[in-house]
Amino acid sequence: MDMIKKLPQELLDKVLLSKDQFERIDPLFSGKLVSVFYDLRVILYLGVLLLTSGLGILVYQNIGDIGHLLSIIFLIALTTVCYWFVMTRAVPYSNNIVKHPIPYYDYIVLLASLLLITVLGYAQFQYEILDDAMGITTLITAAIFFYTAYRFDHLGVLSLGITAFASFWSISISPMKWYSGDFIEASNLHVTGIFFSIGMASIAMFLDRKNIKQHFTFSILNINALIFFVSTLTGLFSEEWSIIYYLLVVGGCAFSYYVARYKRSFLFLLYAFLAAYVATTYLIFDVLRLDDIIFWFFYSVFSCGGFVYFIVKFKNHFKR
Amino acid sequence: MATAYNLTNLKNLLVQKEVKQWMKQDYITREQFHTIEREYPCSFYHPNMFIRILLFAATLLGSFGAIGLLILAMDTGSDDSIAGACVFGGVVSIVLLEIMISQGKHYKSGVTEALLYFGVGIIIGGLIVLANPTTAVTSYVFFFLFLFAAIRYIDLIATLGTVLSFAFIVFNSLYEMGGFAQQIIPFVMMIVFGLVYFITRRARQNDSAQPWCDALLIIESTSLLIVYCGGNYFVVRELSIEMMELALEEGQDIPFAWIFYALTVIIPMIYLYFGIVQKNIVLIRVSLIVIAFAVFTFKYYFSLGHPEITLTIAGVILVSISLALLNYLKIVRHGFTRENHLPEKWAGMNIEAVVISQTLGGNQINVQDAPVKGGDFGGGGSSDSF
Repeated sequence: MDMIKKLPQELLDKVLLSKDQFERIDPLFSGKLVSVFYDLRVILYLGVLLLTSGLGILVYQNIGDIGHLLSIIFLIALTTVCYWFVMTRAVPYSNNIVKHPIPYYDYIVLLASLLLITVLGYAQFQYEILDDAMGITTLITAAIFFYTAYRFDHLGVLSLGITAFASFWSISISPMKWYSGDFIEASNLHVTGIFFSIGMASIAMFLDRKNIKQHFTFSILNINALIFFVSTLTGLFSEEWSIIYYLLVVGGCAFSYYVARYKRSFLFLLYAFLAAYVATTYLIFDVLRLDDIIFWFFYSVFSCGGFVYFIVKFKNHFKR
Repeated sequence: MATAYNLTNLKNLLVQKEVKQWMKQDYITREQFHTIEREYPCSFYHPNMFIRILLFAATLLGSFGAIGLLILAMDTGSDDSIAGACVFGGVVSIVLLEIMISQGKHYKSGVTEALLYFGVGIIIGGLIVLANPTTAVTSYVFFFLFLFAAIRYIDLIATLGTVLSFAFIVFNSLYEMGGFAQQIIPFVMMIVFGLVYFITRRARQNDSAQPWCDALLIIESTSLLIVYCGGNYFVVRELSIEMMELALEEGQDIPFAWIFYALTVIIPMIYLYFGIVQKNIVLIRVSLIVIAFAVFTFKYYFSLGHPEITLTIAGVILVSISLALLNYLKIVRHGFTRENHLPEKWAGMNIEAVVISQTLGGNQINVQDAPVKGGDFGGGGSSDSF
């Protein structure tokens, strides 16, 4: 059987492709032309990651000796060079996606803002500029990230900004923290989480309506959907007001479902179904207080079977 | 053995996926895409990634409930009867899978993967409890079940399982022979998987192997990695100490150490060279991974004890190399281009943003974690990334 190895030729013969299109596609399809776009970007990204992590540790070491001085000079010089590069080659601001002509421009923006944060952190530590207001530094960090993200159209820096802003409210958005159980450190953090995520989501929707950087909406909503569901479910599991938290989960699911349709993203559908299932199951458990294992076996078979049936039955509804 | 899937549908699905990428890349128009789609109709039920995840989770959970009920219904509670129920349940699960594929036209829908993994998993588990076989027999059971799943259902995880269980079989048979056979394990592994690599590469050119092209790609790259592990000094040394009770005194080294030092360096170079010369992206990507592993190997044994300096220098090197290459490939050279010709598979989700916030997210926490004056150095946030 001849599979698709000669697909462009086959389509050309069937007059489904024009000659021009064929000549563009065929070298790529047959491997005559190889794109190393993603490979180079991954290496570049790893480089930025290693470099900023290394420098971030280096500047706090050997305080007082020559190596320390050298690393500070190197850090500041590098930051300056990066900012100079970013500023001189910047393209004008736009509310839409900005595709910069230099393919690695994005990474220099990322590097520059990470280095600036390292410099700020070091200055704060060395000169105690904002000694008694640690939170302010985080807030400034977030502000710098947000400005950079919007000015230079950088999704990665935007997500760093959200992370920083959340950590100002002591919410940590890193999976590493989540499974070590640090997410809900303080007792009422999940309430903060709920307000934070609703606030951020509202801002995101507002900006989206104003046509400001609509391609950012997804990332902001994504992070905040996670915060919201983790917070409400934590509330549901730990508090007496379980019905209120349950209603919040349901509301969140409805909103997620709306976003899934609006942004044509099934990720939000995934969140909505998972959160609704976990919350409903917990509520049934909480109300019935059944510890009969047979019931739970039946429950899993019928709820999951029903769910699969539902999805497959209405498969056309769940298509892009 | 043939695949359980209809070949025409399979081909047409591949065509549709390929052409969709061309559309996203603006090589063809939307109308053209729809015309081609009609020309190559596919009746598979193959939903998108997130629906697949949902269906997978639901099917798996439901299956566990069902097997729980089955075990309770048998009501004897002995290990053998539970194991028997598992094997029976596993077979039922595979039969259901066949029905889903032939009647429901499911193709990697999440339901199929769940039934397959669940079925194979509990069959293996049940058989082990029932027969209590030796390690060798167990590895053969794993191998043949994975092979079956890989061929019949074109499953990529099962393919990976097949390769790894095969590697284990080779390793274990030599290991159990003892003596001289144990000494030559690295070389046998390299030769065997070198052969596997070349056979797979040849097979991938074959028309009749096309439905399995993704699976073959996995075998190819895994084989390359195993060949490298066979020659890598770190792997050989640590496995010799761990498995073969090799006792190394201070200043002693493993037998033929120089061969393994050399292989640790040479193999990545060979991969990279042939990757570039033959324009083989699989070789290039694997070479990048094993270069990193080679660096790790040498740093592990000859460390100067300053990880932060290593990190910084490695970062500078990586950034410089990639920037240099990006500039060099401004125009197409030797058939390589820096331009993007494949749309992001996760378009809309923006994986990059997620990766950045999760790996670099710790960086600004540096500010807070900065050490108190006079204390030890901190920077805890960034070390989270490792």
